[in-house]
Amino acid sequence: RGGRGRNHGCVLKQVHLNVTDLGLGYRTKEELIFRYCSGPCVNSETNYDKILNNLTHNKKLEQDSPHRACCRPTAFDDDLSFLDDNLEYHTLKRHSAKRVNIST
Amino acid sequence: PAVTKENNCLNAAKACNLNDTCKKYRSAYISPCTSRVSTAEVCNKRKCHKALRQFFDKVPPKHSYGMLFCSCPPSDQSACTERRRQTIVPVCSYEDKETPNCLSLQASCKTNYICRSRLADFFANCQPEPRSLSGCLKENYADCLLSYSGLIGTVMTPNYLRSPHISVSPFCDCSNSGNSKEECETFTQFFTDNSCLRNAIQAFGNGTDVGVWQPAPPV
Repeated sequence: RGGRGRNHGCVLKQVHLNVTDLGLGYRTKEELIFRYCSGPCVNSETNYDKILNNLTHNKKLEQDSPHRACCRPTAFDDDLSFLDDNLEYHTLKRHSAKRVNIST
Repeated sequence: PAVTKENNCLNAAKACNLNDTCKKYRSAYISPCTSRVSTAEVCNKRKCHKALRQFFDKVPPKHSYGMLFCSCPPSDQSACTERRRQTIVPVCSYEDKETPNCLSLQASCKTNYICRSRLADFFANCQPEPRSLSGCLKENYADCLLSYSGLIGTVMTPNYLRSPHISVSPFCDCSNSGNSKEECETFTQFFTDNSCLRNAIQAFGNGTDVGVWQPAPPV
């Protein structure tokens, strides 16, 4: 990993939820562990990110404000299956993070 | 607290999804067992059976048996028992278009070496013995449950019947048995009316046979 400076930035966190908390419309009493990426990505910034930052500050890019490094999953957790209240099975894919992009 | 509101089968499913190994192998069989492959077939039964065998091979009994042998109150005829029936995704792994005769199903099991050896294990380890306290000839519930769960994912895949007491059966019956009607009924009763298997399932579900699953605490 990056090696320079503190790695307090983008990390994997987890929370224990009901499947209904996900807001995907399922009616079930089953539960899951949801893992997500959270935190700033300052440590992973490249020259590209620094230049974008400087150009935005110096107003050299007119109205554009391009996206900077952002804390996102680089791999997803295994699929999750559950039985709903009508005794139908559902399987969620790519719903929960496994790794974050803290490497440079 | 209201004991009647506890759904042990739901609690087992929750515990499974909070455990990385159980969650992974659970969805690894539910996916193939619920994916329609063509207009004629609800699923790829071969893949579903293979993934079910993997689930019982790889997941610790605490979780896999927790779902398969969860206990439901006798009064419950829906939420808990139906969930338990759905554990193996019966629409794919169990049911078929036609109900075969049990003896012909047994014959087709014997042509497959996995099925043949697992059925033999089941008959050896769940042999009832009315004179023993456990109800079993070999007084080892864990071995009986292991050989029963070992049948899941073979052509002999058993499941719970919709019955007020615990009764299981592979997907077959004794119609068209001809001269072998008695032999067929002896075979089905080993599943549907087996006090050794029933006691083993109940003991696991009630947690009354914990000593077999975990090392006994030092005295």
